[in-house]
Amino acid sequence: MSQKTEKRQSLFSRIMNPKYIMVYATVIIFLIIYAYGAIRYGKIGFTTLRTFVNFFTDNAYYGISAVGMTMVLITGGIDLSVASVASLTGMLIAYGYERMGISPVITMLFSILVGIGLGALMGSAIHYLNVPPFITTLTGNFLARGICSLISRESISINHPLIDALAGFKITLYHMVDGEWVKIKPITKIDLTVIIFIVMIILGTIVLQHTRFGRNVYAIGGSESSAKLMGLPVGKTKVAVYAINGFCSALAGIAYVLVVKSGWNMALQGGELEVISSAVIGGTLLTGGVGYMIGTMFGVLLKSVIPAIINFNGTLSSWWGKIATGALLLLFIVIQRAVVSYTGKKKAN
Amino acid sequence: MPGSEYILEMNGITKIFPGVKALDNVHFNLKAGEIHALVGENGAGKSTFIKTLTGVHQPDGGEIILNGEKVVMTDPITAQERGIAAIYQHAASYPDLSVAENIFIGHEFKIGPFIDWPKMNREAKKLLDSIDANLSPTASVGSLTVGQQQLVEIAKALSMNAKILIMDEPTASLSQREAEDLYTIARRLRDQGVGIILISHRFEDIFGLADRVTVFRDAQYIGTWKLEEVDQPFLVHHMVGREITQLFPKKETVVGEELLKLEHLTRTGFYRDINMTVRSGEIVGLTGLVGAGRTEVMESVFGVTKPDSGRIIFRGEEVKDQTPTQMMARGLGMLPENRQKEGLLLAWSINHNISLSVLNKCQDGIFINRGKEYELSNKMKELLAIKAPNTDTHTGALSGGNQQKVVVAKQLAAEPQVIILDEPTKGVDVGSKAAIYEIMSDLASQGLGILMISSELPEVINMSDRIYVMSEGKVTKEFTDTKSLTQDDILHAAMPQSK
Repeated sequence: MSQKTEKRQSLFSRIMNPKYIMVYATVIIFLIIYAYGAIRYGKIGFTTLRTFVNFFTDNAYYGISAVGMTMVLITGGIDLSVASVASLTGMLIAYGYERMGISPVITMLFSILVGIGLGALMGSAIHYLNVPPFITTLTGNFLARGICSLISRESISINHPLIDALAGFKITLYHMVDGEWVKIKPITKIDLTVIIFIVMIILGTIVLQHTRFGRNVYAIGGSESSAKLMGLPVGKTKVAVYAINGFCSALAGIAYVLVVKSGWNMALQGGELEVISSAVIGGTLLTGGVGYMIGTMFGVLLKSVIPAIINFNGTLSSWWGKIATGALLLLFIVIQRAVVSYTGKKKAN
Repeated sequence: MPGSEYILEMNGITKIFPGVKALDNVHFNLKAGEIHALVGENGAGKSTFIKTLTGVHQPDGGEIILNGEKVVMTDPITAQERGIAAIYQHAASYPDLSVAENIFIGHEFKIGPFIDWPKMNREAKKLLDSIDANLSPTASVGSLTVGQQQLVEIAKALSMNAKILIMDEPTASLSQREAEDLYTIARRLRDQGVGIILISHRFEDIFGLADRVTVFRDAQYIGTWKLEEVDQPFLVHHMVGREITQLFPKKETVVGEELLKLEHLTRTGFYRDINMTVRSGEIVGLTGLVGAGRTEVMESVFGVTKPDSGRIIFRGEEVKDQTPTQMMARGLGMLPENRQKEGLLLAWSINHNISLSVLNKCQDGIFINRGKEYELSNKMKELLAIKAPNTDTHTGALSGGNQQKVVVAKQLAAEPQVIILDEPTKGVDVGSKAAIYEIMSDLASQGLGILMISSELPEVINMSDRIYVMSEGKVTKEFTDTKSLTQDDILHAAMPQSK
């Protein structure tokens, strides 16, 4: 018996809090797969910094979208419109410049407004009209994809100096050798999309963990009826979360344009499921109330490291990547259930 | 059967959950045609015990003997087939299905593969009539009151020819009159030879119904007595393990200025012409049958709904069209009836729960200041003596009484002048009840005005300085002298006059 009760838990027990278990599981599985790759393919370049940076680069646009998705999932909602909104963004930029001569600066800003507006609209329908998020955002998905196809049904490539410049913007990494700064070999470059991805993860973490708005997001996911009775601004918060997600979708669309330099009405089909599964693999509960940006980031990295292993192997069909991702998703959902029912049992006693 | 007068014997039942012994070698037996009460504080192991009987949990030790035969309850279906049925506090029904569908769920009458609707509705009606429940078999269960839903649950148990009926806190959500009806039904079933296990925190239930009583405490078996051999202090002593000197620790306070005043408040269809006052330092009781409009009035005061006419005067100012957030900012606190579900986020720590509605007080710019947050919650934890290692403890891991304290702490953190408590001790064990009454007394003596909505007449009479009784949406009586009041006085005022 300690004579004096501590004001807070010790750092150790705070770190070991069961609510972080899912994030740890994601990180550990990432490390295991990475270690496997390092042992098997270390000699042919798996352990280089470039390969590691590529884990970020490969799925940066999904990662940007997953930041918004994580917030939506924490409130207990879901958003199936993200990939279509991103695709619409690409189409607006491509069609705007190539067919109408509008500067990409304007179309980018415009498509971000469209993303926020669509998100706010869907959030309002979900909260004020009480339409289930699944249906509302499925409608939003069809709407955005429809508008996209209405604008053009063919792929339009973009040739604009600004897009080229942004796509070409890369930070080359140096390291110190014998007192001199030299480029890391093999040459390792960080794309603008990766920078946006990481900045969004950091911003998301700050908003979720250090602001009232973030606390409200978790409270709504924990129990919406409680949040209402406690006088929290449930409606405003939910609409804001979907609007933020719309912003992230449009931003992801811009990142995607920087990768493919074109707009296509069928781009990123099924991408919403990639985004949702990244967040879930990262430990976000589909039932709401639990989720962390850092987990989501590792969820995205896991989705890059598996294809990388298959690539390095060279003989496996790339479809094994899908199978591995599916298996992983299943594993994580099982772990989540186990964690939830274990903590539930502890409560019962 | 030779040897045994019992239809059910459970000997030496032990159940271990990871890290916790939920049941430690407990005993229980039941005769046909008796009502046997099982009592104990929250967490004493009653629910776990019932779950081992209904097959939800498998015991790690001990034996269950049913009609002289040793049985293993592998799952709830087996228990049902052997004639064990349970009715829970919150009726576990399907709200969107009809009464008949709920009664016969899992054992519907069929013609070939198709459901025989006429027969099902007919049989449902017969069962309902047998317990004097005047309900339509085709009504959807969600449209019924909690009391009526429990009647449906009883009919369901009867439809399965239950020989052993478990009633878990059956009267917790019922009004006095509904509870009386339930007593009548329970007695009739007993007289027909059904063995009833009654779990209840209400001594009225136990002394009004039970033939024998068994006490559990801290997962252990304490004893079984005939009801004639025990009285309330004796039971309380064995349940709590210590003497509770004063269940109602009412302090004398100085009654001060008027804090809340309602003038002719009316909301058509819910309540009409309500006049009420709450002064500083006063505990005002608001009672009446469930459905009399008590909660509805308070929801309007709190800004959840809008009254059609009349005035609400709060701290000398008329308030109009306020949201709950605005009312909280003005100094009104409200503890909802279903506190554990609606008043707390059980997955959250004490700290986060307490600070949630007052985070504006713990902010630097747009960022939360963790230091200020901990300062606030630690102060509250000390003030209310919340038993937990620290404020990072999950509220889900706390005992019921301590969860109540966290809910109260949340309200106090907003520094309210008036607190509305809706059924503050519903479903709370006797030890925690005393703690809640003590908090109420303390708050009143600090000059807060307290309005307590309650159906528990003993607490209304013993804790209130003044009592309003509502019936059918109107205040029918105000008692200013509570000293010599009896339960009958209040019941008389609470009964609907129109019948």
